This record gives sequence, C-alpha cells and structure tokens, in this order.
Amino acid sequence: MVDDREQKAAFDRYIVPEIEVLYRVARSITRNPTDAEDLVQDTMLRAYRAVGRFDGRYPRAWLLTIMRNAQINRVRRRRPELMRDPDATMERVAAQDSGDDGPEATVLERGYNAELEKAFESLPQKFKTVVDLVDVQGLAYQETADILGVPVGTVMSRLHRARARLRKQLEASGAYVEGRPT
Amino acid sequence: MITRRWFRRHKPEVDCREVGRVLQSYLDDNVEAGFAGKIAAHLDECKKCGLESATYTQIKDSLGDTRPDVDDDAMSRLRSFGAKLTDG
Repeated sequence: MVDDREQKAAFDRYIVPEIEVLYRVARSITRNPTDAEDLVQDTMLRAYRAVGRFDGRYPRAWLLTIMRNAQINRVRRRRPELMRDPDATMERVAAQDSGDDGPEATVLERGYNAELEKAFESLPQKFKTVVDLVDVQGLAYQETADILGVPVGTVMSRLHRARARLRKQLEASGAYVEGRPT
Repeated sequence: MITRRWFRRHKPEVDCREVGRVLQSYLDDNVEAGFAGKIAAHLDECKKCGLESATYTQIKDSLGDTRPDVDDDAMSRLRSFGAKLTDG
C-alpha cells in the first residue's frame, strides 16, 4: 500500500508525461475530440487508482492497456450487444465511422498529398487505424498492439499491407514516379 | 525486432528478395542492428531497392506530416484534471 504522497509522485512520474500521447491515441480511436478527452480522463483516473501496484516498467504500454480497457467499457455501456463479443470490441470501435473529425480528415496539400489522402481514405478501417496510430501518431508497433489488443505481428501485417496499398494506389494515380512524388 | 533468418546468417550480403521482405520493418527501425547494416549497404548499391525504400519513406514522412496539432485547451483541461486527482 502506498501513501498519498507516493501515489502523487508516481502519478507525476509515470502518467503526466504521457498525457499528450494518450490524448492523441484517444482522438485516433474515438475520432471525436470530446470523447477523446473523456477517455483520457477515465484512463487517468483508473491509472491513478492503480499506480501503487505499477512496477514502473513501460508506463506508456501500461497506460495504453488501461485506455483500451476503459474504451471497451465505454462502448459496452453505450452498446450492450457488444458484450457478446468482447474480444472484438476494440476492433469494432476502431471500425466505427463517426464522421470526419479525426486526424485522417486533415486537409492535405494538393498533388501527392491529396492523392495520398484519397488512398488513405480508401483503406479498410482496420488498416486505416494502424496507419494512423503508427505513421501519423508515431506509436511503436508494440504500443499499437497494446491499444488495439492484437498481436504485434498483426499490427505489422496490417501496416505493411496498408502501405503497400497506398503505394499501389499512388502509383496508379500517377502521383509518383520512381520513388519520388511529382 | 526482426532478425535475419538463421539459414541466411552465414551469407555476407542480403539480396533484393530478402530486403523486400523486411524493408518496411527496416524503415520503422524494427530490424536488429547487424541485419539493418546489411540492408543499408544493399539499399546504397541497388537502384531498384533504393527507389522502393524512397517510395515508402515518402509515404511514411507524408503521413507523419499530417499529424494534427494537439488542442492546447484540451491539454490544459487534462492537466488540471490530473492535478485535481492528486490533490484529493
């Protein structure tokens, strides 16, 4: 059991430095800024309560796992039918189409970037989520696996296939010639 | 972390096929250091693989450039929330 002072110190050491990453990831998986903020608060609250039992190793991975569980619970509360298939919940969450507020809606420059955006939008949602978490938000493979609740190999496979599709589509659109954007 | 397949470890150089299999992991810094050095040497020498690498690098970099700025107000609210939590 830790006292309040130790709990606060652990919170400041392990959780506070990760707030921005948590918010970025939350925005990516909820695709809604308000939901993202709520999810980060929920994650911080759960992490604060559990920080006394945390061994201090890999705080980001620990926090992303907490966030994943928090998000699953939030979705279950809203959509009780997902209780029947809990393992697939995060995948379904990531696959929900909730409008165009997310990072993938960022307006890109014309030309190469416009074609890239078009290609990105045409990806299946599970590919889009992995590309967003790794290539846009800058998460590592393992961190992405932690938040999605899938093996690292699955993250790699989806990511590599997604990029290959982007590349193929860019090539078909004529947006690049021999490895260089036009 | 990707390591080189054991039956190829005795070969001093990597070939295009081997590079193609691990290129994206290499670009994500997810290949063991010794193996990465061999891939880098191959990419310097081989035009086809070098262009393949440049293509994927461009895609990765362009996607990274789309990362949206974090809303300062949201960050401020979250930090305040954290401070209130720890202050009891």
